[in-house]
Amino acid sequence: MWKYIGLRIVDAVPTVILVLSLVFVALRLLPGDPAQVVLGDNATAAQLELFRKQMGLDAPLWHQYLSFMYNVATLRFGRSLVNGVPIIQLLAVNLPYTIQLTIAATFIGVALGIPLGVVSARHRGEPLDDVARIFALLGYAVPDFYLGAIFLIYLSLDLGLFPINGTGSGLIDQMHHLVLPALTLGLVKAAFLSRLTRASLLEVLSKDYVRTARAKGAREGRVIYRHALRNALLPVVTGLGLSILATLSGSVAIELVFGRPGIGNMLIGAVETRDYPVVQAGIIVFALFVVLVNLAVDLLAIAVDPRIRVR
Amino acid sequence: MPEIARRDFLGAVSGAVAALAARRVRAASPRRISIALAARSPQTLNPSRTTLGADNWACRQIFDTLVVPEDGTFALTPDAFKPSLAESWDSSPDAKTWTFHLRRNVPFHKGYGDLTADDVAFTFGRLIDPKVVVSGKVLYANIDRVEAVNPQTVGFTLKQPDPTFCGSSIYTMSGNIISRKAFEEKGDKFAFDPVGTGPFQFDRVDFSKGVYLKAFPQHFRGPPASPELDILYILDTTARTLAFLSGQVDMIEGARTPGWMNSIKQRKPDTAFDATKPGSVNTLHMNLTRKPFDNLKVREAVRYAIDRKALAAAYGPMGGVIWGLIPVEFPGSVSDKNLPPDLQYPYDPDKAKQLLAEAGYPNGVAFSCFTSQREDYSAIMLMVQEQLRKVGFRVDMQIIDHATFHSQSDHDLNTLIMLSSSYPPVPTQPLLEQLSSHAVVKPDGTGGDNYSHYGVAIPGVDDLLAKVLEEPDFAKRAALCQAVERQVLKDLPVIGLLTLSYVIARNPRVSLGYEVKSGYAYWPLRTAQPAA
Repeated sequence: MWKYIGLRIVDAVPTVILVLSLVFVALRLLPGDPAQVVLGDNATAAQLELFRKQMGLDAPLWHQYLSFMYNVATLRFGRSLVNGVPIIQLLAVNLPYTIQLTIAATFIGVALGIPLGVVSARHRGEPLDDVARIFALLGYAVPDFYLGAIFLIYLSLDLGLFPINGTGSGLIDQMHHLVLPALTLGLVKAAFLSRLTRASLLEVLSKDYVRTARAKGAREGRVIYRHALRNALLPVVTGLGLSILATLSGSVAIELVFGRPGIGNMLIGAVETRDYPVVQAGIIVFALFVVLVNLAVDLLAIAVDPRIRVR
Repeated sequence: MPEIARRDFLGAVSGAVAALAARRVRAASPRRISIALAARSPQTLNPSRTTLGADNWACRQIFDTLVVPEDGTFALTPDAFKPSLAESWDSSPDAKTWTFHLRRNVPFHKGYGDLTADDVAFTFGRLIDPKVVVSGKVLYANIDRVEAVNPQTVGFTLKQPDPTFCGSSIYTMSGNIISRKAFEEKGDKFAFDPVGTGPFQFDRVDFSKGVYLKAFPQHFRGPPASPELDILYILDTTARTLAFLSGQVDMIEGARTPGWMNSIKQRKPDTAFDATKPGSVNTLHMNLTRKPFDNLKVREAVRYAIDRKALAAAYGPMGGVIWGLIPVEFPGSVSDKNLPPDLQYPYDPDKAKQLLAEAGYPNGVAFSCFTSQREDYSAIMLMVQEQLRKVGFRVDMQIIDHATFHSQSDHDLNTLIMLSSSYPPVPTQPLLEQLSSHAVVKPDGTGGDNYSHYGVAIPGVDDLLAKVLEEPDFAKRAALCQAVERQVLKDLPVIGLLTLSYVIARNPRVSLGYEVKSGYAYWPLRTAQPAA
């Protein structure tokens, strides 16, 4: 198992290098000058040049690239061009909020989505199924930032049940601040997972071994949860992995609406200000997440489906 | 470990959740005041490096300048400035030598000693040192040298006369006086551990939330009215607005979009709005080196086609009508009161169509341009696009991100360029920055904000500007600026579109202590406090 994990990580290295190289090139091709952003619109040409020199932005591109790759290899992320703060410090500030939100949203998504999918499949064509499908449709159709704004207006502003924005201080306060953003993302995730679970379970329920189990007189609950669901979970686990990655990278709208910090928010800000080192560090973090989540999904798939074996 | 029954555990959890749910959103502490600004994260609190509005707000509270205008105003004339760190000042008859006499016993924060002339000379010395990177360097280009004459006296020698020196260079963000000792001791760390003499001192920064300040009781004007000031960075307009409506923050930066003020008033009718007049100056540059704007009749058609009153009205009380580049509130400006009828260009779409036909475009003309996605740029340019369409201009306009917009425009790739700028009442500033041939945009990006190529494509303005800069008398200088404005209205390389107030929505439970009438997009909160 450990060998498998090690091999998967080694396998990911070329992908990560490729991603970093593409990001490096794309950022330099993008119009916009970090010196202009930092010094403002009325900066003189001499001042812009001096800033670029101080930040090493006047060096040849190949030199900047090699320097960047060397720094990545030695885990030196450098400082932000815009505020001079060590990037490690920026990541330390933002990353926990992203992870917190992703975990909470995933928990809500799984806790709601999978049971809903099972109920929907079990009661196919019945009113319960219709309700579950309408929920899923709404989850797909309503943009998360809109849902978040609706929650904010009615649950926070009008009813005063939750804080408007920020992250809070202390465990209870932080959890209180987390509820609405996590619920917003979690509901969207639940819609996705319920559809996936329903479709997958319906397919499995038509298999011979399920028919055999029923013919042997097994109770419906046992047929569903013991025989069918475990086999139906494989595509759900894969979908869950994709969904987690989408949350990690795509939660920026929620972070903005709820005034929460996070890696997505940090990354968008860095792109706007052409803060190359911060963008690059953010992409490295995302690339690592992709590798780790994919690995976790593979391991989970092995646990769910014993037919899959590590070679 | 004691056992907990499942029922007890569930009961406790339910109780905690119910308690949380029942709790109303906590209002801001009655003694602390807070302001939320449209920004993502603090960038620097070194006043010589700030370009971000929210950072400017923090720096305004932490530092002091040598002179200040009356709170809530701009000093429209040189004699309207009030003493601050300088108790008095004088200038030579040619307005090239300025001497400031400092207030005694003004302490810096955190035990960094009292202010001396050396701190002032150090602050401005960095601003004119070509080896030091600071923002707004151009504002100090006229300073030849600065020196500490004695511990309480600072002397400035200028290259050219400047009767507006207090407004053009002294009362500026980089002109905030820093502690030399603290700056040299802290180095780069000064950016987030600043030391000034201001009414509030730096407490802490949270890069995910904002900057937290606390009162400096030894401030030379006495302790500020509120013991703590939170400057929060909330970029999203919805999030900021909801934070304000819920009472979580006392003040928020407004959105520069039509209808924003009304939407706030609907939800919270007692909201107080503090707005600067004129605010930002929005101008429209027509690239004289590109067709069809090389033709004067086309430029005149544009001028007649744009309904400037309608543009201003779209923003309600935030909008203001402008005739030239200098806002009507400022000295040196022109308006319908002092312009001849042929230079007033009232909205006249029929005349615009006629001029377009005379220019050889009876069926209209098409051109492409791009603008920024920033809310003020995109909203104004969409209105301009629609007004131009009505007279036959088919504008293929792309809306792109702000950094790209500036980069592409600065490389002379744009045809019709809207520019939003903020100026103090120093009449030469917009003229020099947007009209001088020295500021002409260049393909390599090293030029300035003269996107029309005025002064090169149509020469002559440099001579007029040189006369302005040689004039040491303020009133005469303002009159010469009006002459430049009239010439610009004849040549029409640039059109003034509207001015747009910078607005802060304030909960009426907080009193500012004065009325905001004009000024930069940040103001002192020394006297702000929860209303009795």
